[in-house]
Amino acid sequence: MERVSALERVIRTVLILLVLVFFLFPIFWILLMSFQSNDQILRIPPSIVFEPTIANYATLLTGKLQTTAGNLDVAFLKNLGNSMLLSTGSVILSLILGVPAAYAFARFKFRLGENIAFTLLSFRFAPPLLVLLPLSLYFKQLGLTDSYFGLIWIYQLICLPLILWIVRGYFEDVSPDIEHAYRVAGHSWWTTFRKIAIPLAMPGIAAAGLLAFIFAWNNFVFALILASADKQPVTVGALAFVTASGIQYGQIAAAIVLSVMPTLLLALYAQRYLVQGLSLGAVKG
Amino acid sequence: MSLASVSETGSIPIRKRRFARRALPYLLSLPALLVCIGILVPFVTAAYYSLMRFRLNLPALKGFIWFDNYINFLSDSAFWNTVSISLVYAFVTVAVELVLGLGIALLLVKPSRLNNLASILLLLPLMTAPALAALMWKLMTNPNFGILSYLVGLIGFTDFRWASDPRTALLTVTLVDVWVYTPFIMILLLAGLRSLPKQPFEAAALDGVPRSFVFFRITLPMLMPYIITASLFRLLDSIQQFDIVYSLTQGGPGDKLMVFQVQAYLEFFQYTNVGRSAALMMVLWAITYFLSNIFIKQWLKLRERARGVS
Amino acid sequence: MFERGRDLTARFVKGEISRREMLKGASRLGLGIATTGFLLNESMTRAMAADFDWMKFKGTKLKLLLNKHPYADAMIADLENFKSMTGMDVSYDIFPEDVYFDKVTAALSSSSSEYDAFMTGAYMTWTYGPAGWVDDLNEYIKDPAKTNPNYNWEDVLPGLRASTAWNGVPGGELGSADAKQWCTPWGFELNSVAYNRKIFDKVGVEPPKNMEDLMNVAAKVTKDAGGPYGIGVRGSRSWATIHPGFLSAYSNFEQRDFTVTDGKLKAAMNTDVSKSFHKQWVQMIQDSGPKNWSTYTWYQVGTDLGAGASGMIFDADILGYFMNGGDNKEAGNIAYTPFAANPAAKAPTPNVWIWSLALSSFSKQKDAAWYFMQWATSTEHDLFGARKMDFVNPVRASVWKDEEFRARIDKSYPGYLKQYEASSEGSKIYFTPQPLFFDLTTQWAETLQKMVAKEIPVDEGLDKLAENIDKQLKDAGIGG
Repeated sequence: MERVSALERVIRTVLILLVLVFFLFPIFWILLMSFQSNDQILRIPPSIVFEPTIANYATLLTGKLQTTAGNLDVAFLKNLGNSMLLSTGSVILSLILGVPAAYAFARFKFRLGENIAFTLLSFRFAPPLLVLLPLSLYFKQLGLTDSYFGLIWIYQLICLPLILWIVRGYFEDVSPDIEHAYRVAGHSWWTTFRKIAIPLAMPGIAAAGLLAFIFAWNNFVFALILASADKQPVTVGALAFVTASGIQYGQIAAAIVLSVMPTLLLALYAQRYLVQGLSLGAVKG
Repeated sequence: MSLASVSETGSIPIRKRRFARRALPYLLSLPALLVCIGILVPFVTAAYYSLMRFRLNLPALKGFIWFDNYINFLSDSAFWNTVSISLVYAFVTVAVELVLGLGIALLLVKPSRLNNLASILLLLPLMTAPALAALMWKLMTNPNFGILSYLVGLIGFTDFRWASDPRTALLTVTLVDVWVYTPFIMILLLAGLRSLPKQPFEAAALDGVPRSFVFFRITLPMLMPYIITASLFRLLDSIQQFDIVYSLTQGGPGDKLMVFQVQAYLEFFQYTNVGRSAALMMVLWAITYFLSNIFIKQWLKLRERARGVS
Repeated sequence: MFERGRDLTARFVKGEISRREMLKGASRLGLGIATTGFLLNESMTRAMAADFDWMKFKGTKLKLLLNKHPYADAMIADLENFKSMTGMDVSYDIFPEDVYFDKVTAALSSSSSEYDAFMTGAYMTWTYGPAGWVDDLNEYIKDPAKTNPNYNWEDVLPGLRASTAWNGVPGGELGSADAKQWCTPWGFELNSVAYNRKIFDKVGVEPPKNMEDLMNVAAKVTKDAGGPYGIGVRGSRSWATIHPGFLSAYSNFEQRDFTVTDGKLKAAMNTDVSKSFHKQWVQMIQDSGPKNWSTYTWYQVGTDLGAGASGMIFDADILGYFMNGGDNKEAGNIAYTPFAANPAAKAPTPNVWIWSLALSSFSKQKDAAWYFMQWATSTEHDLFGARKMDFVNPVRASVWKDEEFRARIDKSYPGYLKQYEASSEGSKIYFTPQPLFFDLTTQWAETLQKMVAKEIPVDEGLDKLAENIDKQLKDAGIGG
């Protein structure tokens, strides 16, 4: 156990606070903006004192927006639902496909193994704009335009390589010895996989799953090009507040806050998995 | 491989078992491959377009010109500007994020409730879609209403122009990128640090080994594969950056931030120059292929070494 | 009560009684203003429905692709009338403006037949037309079997009708006799100066009368107003930076983007007059423009005016219109003036942006879609939008003459009508139509950015730009 001096603890705390301020100040500011009306946001100079209003959230949740140019309909809740559906569906599929594959690459040395692994990675760095136009053409021919199914399929390009390569790394670090012992005791590889390998690599799986969820959630261009207005995720939908009669910053801020909520809750939930590895203590020879 | 030496109980005949054992990795990995394989078709189509002169609003000129698109790039100063700014942007952002991410992960490595909460909260910038984050940063750096302009003015930079000045545009965009994506590296390295075996550290502590030695000779080498994975993904994404740059400056001021995907976006969506856009994207793909090859080889080498040790 | 009300409004629409008589009659019947308005609209629609078989395509399902915009909202508010008049069902996809045109390009380039009609700008049809994505509407407008007799195409302002018609020949004059009508004007914006009266009074300046005046007034505001900067103009790296105030002023000096000789184009922005104009424009931005000018789009220019951060803007008149209302801090303080940059010019020459409706060539029900389009651009609907829903600027001369519309504008937007009337005759598109419009205009904006940032002197910048442009024109086979 290390001896941690008081000075060190102070420095550590100060550094952590600085880091938190840097990364969370804009978030905090956005949160404040979500409770302000536009004319308060656009004050010169900006001020931290303001009269709070929940009008922005009311607009998003009820679906009606008032601007200079009249009453508009807002589809934000639908966008939120779309994002949830697309991200959750994509990550679940990616986990089902990716975790076993990661295990295979980590545990088995098989011919073509590295080639397959690298190919799967390479899908990630096909720039979206490269494949977008041909993709929309083929989607049309396959009848996949404007379908959640088609979008979830395309989202695999974002999620699968990420999950695969990150989880592979964690599997590689988990010592095979425990697994050997378990197999010798008479269990099949599937049970070993399920009961030993996965729990030990849990921090990695949780991290990878969470990150894949975030990247799927943040994606913009696939749904825009390949789907109709009713399937658009939050990333596109929030732009609806950039209107001809002015950017409704308050509503965009509220939209950001609401759209971050599901991911934040997921992250808080996944937190305990991220820590788990340490307590089981992977033992390496 | 040690697994092969484990005997299997049960009544399955040996040959079938051996086949099953050899087929297993393929069975596990092929579904993933098959699901993604569909992307090859659009990819080949795009490659085909890149060999054509193909402008949607000049249909009369459509034709096969082989590698002329690429050859024209070589003498195009705008193209080389794009290559250099994309690479600079990618490497600078990843370098900063790596150092920062590692530092933060080390700060939060002890699994206390506070540290865990902090690490989750620090993911918030990443959870904000980059396009929306950039929009908010645009407001925050507005000289009139922007809180950041105000704060920066308080410490003496009264005329800081952020993304609209060619001298500070790259800095501003890097700042936003670092803000959004450092948490990505942080969370991966944090999970990595936490799953490192405790023994070497306990042994070092017992022996009274100085902390810097522990860090550079034990922690870092063991963490290296994670570092490589995290920075690989960040590098691939960074060189393809679109949302942040486009939302802030559309590639400007001038052509200071004209990275690959912004130019390709303009070429396709605004100028409808499909051929040129496809060629540009193929070059980007080639660059990322080349870079990731280097990274992966390094990663595999490290894995081999690690496996050899154990 | 409603039947009698309908009677009244029908007689007004037919011209049998005056507006005053109708309103008096309505109040005598106990009908409130809103109800009267509703009944009036109904009557107008019904009047329109006479003499023409609107029900011909009953049961058809149309799908529209729309931009999230007040014009679309106004149309949607009135859509029930169309549905009941024609028996058609209309659904629509709305996309935010930032991504709208990407969606259109993606849909059309993949030959999707999902959308029958969509919103577009005139410039976009310079791509859509030659690419074969939109139909020539002349065949519909001129066909009495397809277009209702009350459509009154000539009522649409001539400058707008011409600007949305092009024969497809690079450099061909807009609105020429052989031009194809690629879209129908729906709403438009012309460029003039909108200013903050309070700031101007405080500083003691008058609305500017020409380019030099503009620079001086802007400089004075920046110096003396105690915070706001002088003039807001767009500066983002986009064709949209050249299109509004910049091109309007540029054209006022009789400058063009290209010269056309025998069907071959040559860049013309490096003439001496152009160079001196560019110098003035660049100087104005450096001295009195927004600090973050090179990231300024329509939104930032408007927001600054509405929040009192700028003294005036030289941009779309409707932008100034919108900033004078809503929850803007400076609502009520904005005034309008027409602007002719050239002291020797007789009148302003504002460039225009025309939101229009276009018919997709891939639609499977074009005639039915045309029914929608003619309804949406009809006098009846234009009047509804102008009177009730902030549909500015209407494209029809008759709507501009409508008392109710004029009274409404005059009440809340003083000077707006005057600015319109002084500017409307010279309002049209001053760009030369050609397939490389977006490429080259964006490069022009890029060069402007470099000049403002002092990365390149104006003369050299324009010469290099012209050279670059000529090379690209030649490669595309349209340069000489």
